[in-house]
Amino acid sequence: MSRKKSAKGKAATSSPSAGSPAGKGVGKTARSSPGIVQMNGVIHPSRPSISNSSEFYDIAFKVMLVGDSGVGKTCLLVRFKDGAFLAGSFISTVGIDFRNKVLNIDGVKVKLQIWDTAGQERFRSVTHAYYRDAHALLLLYDVTNKSSFDNIKAWLTEIHEYAQQDVVLMLLGNKADATHERVVKREDGERLAKEFGVPFMETSARSGLNVELAFTGVAKELKHRSIKDPSEKFKLQEYVNKEMKTTGCCRS
Amino acid sequence: MEKKSKPAHRTRSPDGSARDRVDSVDPYGFQRSKDFDYESYEELMSEYLVVLTRRTIKWSKLLKGKRRVQKNVKLKRYVRKGIPNEHRALIWMAASGALDQLEKNPGCYQSLLGAEHDPKLVETICTDLNRTFPDNIQFRKTANPCMQKALYNVLLAYGHHNPAVGYCQGMNFVAGYLLIITKDEEKSFWLMDALLGRILPDYYSPAMMGLKTDQEVLGELVKVKIPGVWQTMMDHNVMWSLVVSRWFICLYIDVLPVETVLRIWDCLFYEGSKILFRVALTLIHHHQALLQQAQSLPDVCQNFKQITHGPFVEECHTFLQKIFTEPGSLSMATLSKLRATCRTRISAEEY
Repeated sequence: MSRKKSAKGKAATSSPSAGSPAGKGVGKTARSSPGIVQMNGVIHPSRPSISNSSEFYDIAFKVMLVGDSGVGKTCLLVRFKDGAFLAGSFISTVGIDFRNKVLNIDGVKVKLQIWDTAGQERFRSVTHAYYRDAHALLLLYDVTNKSSFDNIKAWLTEIHEYAQQDVVLMLLGNKADATHERVVKREDGERLAKEFGVPFMETSARSGLNVELAFTGVAKELKHRSIKDPSEKFKLQEYVNKEMKTTGCCRS
Repeated sequence: MEKKSKPAHRTRSPDGSARDRVDSVDPYGFQRSKDFDYESYEELMSEYLVVLTRRTIKWSKLLKGKRRVQKNVKLKRYVRKGIPNEHRALIWMAASGALDQLEKNPGCYQSLLGAEHDPKLVETICTDLNRTFPDNIQFRKTANPCMQKALYNVLLAYGHHNPAVGYCQGMNFVAGYLLIITKDEEKSFWLMDALLGRILPDYYSPAMMGLKTDQEVLGELVKVKIPGVWQTMMDHNVMWSLVVSRWFICLYIDVLPVETVLRIWDCLFYEGSKILFRVALTLIHHHQALLQQAQSLPDVCQNFKQITHGPFVEECHTFLQKIFTEPGSLSMATLSKLRATCRTRISAEEY
């Protein structure tokens, strides 16, 4: 893994992120959203497109997808980004990569920079350096793979060690469409999530179940936190509970 | 990760005729992407075929049916100009020492396959079988012979042969390429052994120290040779792992075009891991103006992806000439020294 010039030891390996490390930020007020203040978010003013990676947006956040190898992180991201699921068209993710998507959350353009990571354990020593300035983490397991569920506790430990304390975290049980191969009950996921106080739902990249909701929920939470509007109450778990579909429905 | 598609880098509209003449599956079994530019491919190949023919004649004279080759200046020059596909397996085997190992250890591969299997290893490998070259017709479950089965065998045997490494993602792609070229499990196994055991630093072991080191080493080389790009990386706080870990782990598979990767591997087996730096430095050096234009971290990442596409890397013969000139001198002594320094630095940071 590469380190930046000043990095000396873990504590200094801070922000390999989008231009403005947490705390400094871009000092200008964002277009069309004068109410927005900088929390610890990466907040850029909207600006004209320089490369195809930028679109107009008001606030931007970094979201990371983590979880064991093969739980469907890349598929979930592609389903969300492009609305597509192409069975058997994916290759294993080696290293780390990201894609952007801009969402309209109650009139505010929220850009999510979504980081996809290799799931195999040994890659964690390369990828955990990126946790530190993540604003949200989506932690996935595969409902058809018991060990991916059993490893969630280890992932949470890893996250607590390397991510920011106030990182928005959500647990997702993916491949919920695979009813015949399912080995992890929905209740098991719920129980574990409750134990760790983490919002939870089941998703399916194949059918699209709750995929949009997972990212929208996180975006709403991040937007809510950064705007700090006292008149607005938002609880991520309540929101997803209200909006989520269960496996009986075919589309989210 | 999604399979990338090759960009149509020339804007001329295809008249359909090149598409009729060129197979939609490449000679290695990879399906060409929907936006594959058949026209410019045909144009490129018409030139490259002349080179290939000339090289094939030269190689046939050199080998004259021999099964063994001696490493010497002439052979090195020949290798740099490209090994014809029919001789690739032989030269890779001979130059890397894999042939010696195979002959010294008869039956070793089969006995590894026959031994009791570590279920954890089996599971990890199986997770990636369907995710190795789904765009290659030879790797489909229904293909005959079934490359997926061969891939499983090679990875399993290697994992037991070298339990300190076991299986690491990326090895699936490397073994897959070896199988495509050698069409032989045992040869592929011994070539894996040569690569992971002797040619490459410890890229794939659980600590991935060799990978972390070489990423840093590349950074140090860029700092000296292409300081403008190094400064851009610093300005936007980009760690080298973000942009080049796949280059090293996958040995440029799925980063550069297939033919170019094979030409790189010709030199890799003959000359060693230094070649990986030559390729990286050439890509960065050649596109330094573009790389320095980046205004943000996403821009940097985007540009690093962009420089692995287009005519510069598709014209593999010219590209391979460039890697020996464009980055300037790169001695093994320099590399060893940098590796030692970076390794020490990383160890100190980790503990």
